[in-house]
Amino acid sequence: MIARNDRLSGFRARLTGAGLVVLVSASALLSTPGSLEGAQAAQEAPDGMALYEAGCASCHGSDGRGAAADRIAFDDPLPDLTDCSFASREPDADWIIVSKAGGPVRGFSDVMPAFAEAFDDDQLQAIMDHIRTFCTDRAWPRGELNLPRPLFTEKAYPEDEWVWTASANAEGPGAIVNELLYEKRFGSRNQVEIALPFGFAEDSSTPASSDGGPASDWGVGLGDIEIGYKRALLHNLRTIFSFGTEVKLPTGDSERGIGSAEFQIEPFLALGQILPGDAFVHLQAGGGLLARGHRESHGTAEHDEDVREAFFHAVLGRTFTSGEFGRSWSPMVEVLASTHLADGAQPQWDLVPQMQVTLNTRQHVMLNVGVRVPLTDADVRSTQFLVYFLWDWFDGGLFDGW
Amino acid sequence: MAGRWGRGPFLPCALGVVAVGIVAAGAAESGAVTGRIVVAEGQVRFAGEPPAGAEIDMSADAYCRDRHDETLMDRPVRVGADGGLADVLVRIVNAPAASASSPAPEAEALLDQEDCLYTPRAVAVRAGQPLVIRNSDATLHNVRVVPDSNPGFNLGQPIQGIQSTRSFETPEIGIQVRCDIHGWMTASIHVLEHEFFDVTGEDGAFTLPTLPPGDYEIEAWHPTLGTVSERVSVAAGETPSLTLEFSSG
Repeated sequence: MIARNDRLSGFRARLTGAGLVVLVSASALLSTPGSLEGAQAAQEAPDGMALYEAGCASCHGSDGRGAAADRIAFDDPLPDLTDCSFASREPDADWIIVSKAGGPVRGFSDVMPAFAEAFDDDQLQAIMDHIRTFCTDRAWPRGELNLPRPLFTEKAYPEDEWVWTASANAEGPGAIVNELLYEKRFGSRNQVEIALPFGFAEDSSTPASSDGGPASDWGVGLGDIEIGYKRALLHNLRTIFSFGTEVKLPTGDSERGIGSAEFQIEPFLALGQILPGDAFVHLQAGGGLLARGHRESHGTAEHDEDVREAFFHAVLGRTFTSGEFGRSWSPMVEVLASTHLADGAQPQWDLVPQMQVTLNTRQHVMLNVGVRVPLTDADVRSTQFLVYFLWDWFDGGLFDGW
Repeated sequence: MAGRWGRGPFLPCALGVVAVGIVAAGAAESGAVTGRIVVAEGQVRFAGEPPAGAEIDMSADAYCRDRHDETLMDRPVRVGADGGLADVLVRIVNAPAASASSPAPEAEALLDQEDCLYTPRAVAVRAGQPLVIRNSDATLHNVRVVPDSNPGFNLGQPIQGIQSTRSFETPEIGIQVRCDIHGWMTASIHVLEHEFFDVTGEDGAFTLPTLPPGDYEIEAWHPTLGTVSERVSVAAGETPSLTLEFSSG
């Protein structure tokens, strides 16, 4: 996400068009076997239905809508398994974990029993396949595609979440930049978001203090507010491909180093791909168009109108689980590239190793810690330390499920 | 199929107070403390209608409904025909210290689900002793066990004949067991550190293992009536017997 790069790093680099080519080529993976349609057909296996009737229907109802209150002996609300907005969000693996070990294993009600001693993994999968038939609208991307969120790259999967990101420069002029991001899904494929950056930046132009020591004048303020929209265009059980655009408003203060104070439109394409062995890839490519061509780049003023730029992000990661049901750890390596689309412009590259970890039992609150290392122009661009705190609010309150 | 829970009205009482006693059973094996819980007729008083309990509605589960010819009554206080009080844990409070260090028996205790009822409704085990939880019904039961001092669990048992084995490491009295599908199904699990305990059946009788001579406090615990206790002195060669009496009201 090019706007986020700017807020967090204070630099804008250049990119060749290779990223877009790779991204579009990767979308061909959508035609691989294991499509949602094929899987749906298999989900209607009669054994799964029979097992569901034996083990689940007493409470969840034969139709998945939940048993009537007078048919059960507890007050906890039952989910509507036919509600695609609910039923599509989590991967099979999470549903099966709860079915095996009971609700508390993911911070849910202890009324949900454990069936590990009643059903084996194949039977639980058959039940899960039957449950998947309750949501009949296949426009909803499956939760398997909700891959771990990188620090910079926009996911293709639409989300409901709050994310607070903070970054600090390791050297050079000090800068501590925060961003509070709110994302909201609507419909089966869409997401809107608003990002509110704010922070502190050291003004390197401040004259020395009267005692001859180094001066430290920190600017505090609001960055460039960003509004975004994203739509999942295509998806199957392993791949999701989305389009989005972000509009950055000139609310920042470039002189203080908090935002660029420019109006900018940034369309992008994003792809998420599940790989074997719990590995995954994110790809994102896009461009930026400045409506007003005044910007600061590495301390040098540029005055070219309608500056165009492009960026490409790639992420490779893998998720590990502590024990059978424990915390999820997702180490990722993120490669960032960006360039001005002008003659002679050279791309800038960054490497961002990072680790995301789920913090609570429900796994809807997460932390990601990483460092952004410039691979080009390292003499003028600072290494950054970054951390985000993520709350998937659709899955429950911030203090639920610990 | 309904014999354990009965179908008729609750034991006639006169003044609204239930008075129940554990009465000595008399002769027993040498060195054992024996007794039975009885309703002392002269001590049971109710005002107005006796608590008959609530009717159990099994209509939500055809299997459960079809297993019983008549409507069952949910009676938290079960009194047998001879006045004995069922589902009471009787234990020695101040058991000999050495008894706590004896190994837990390897024999499995059983908590069954049969005809959509727990059998028995109270089961006592030693800490560490295996407890088998079985579903003898051809319908789904869940077994939600909610201890205070031990880890809880909730087992889904959808298959007739399925059984799971659990044990509890920390002594705890009155662990609640319930089925969230069939709300009338409740039971208690008791975990004791020693072997000097018993759970009464419908005749109210209990038998405790041989005790060494000494002064003991014997406690009876019922899930709704609470506890009563008595002190008893056991001398060499004697078989003490006693009555423990409950009253509520």
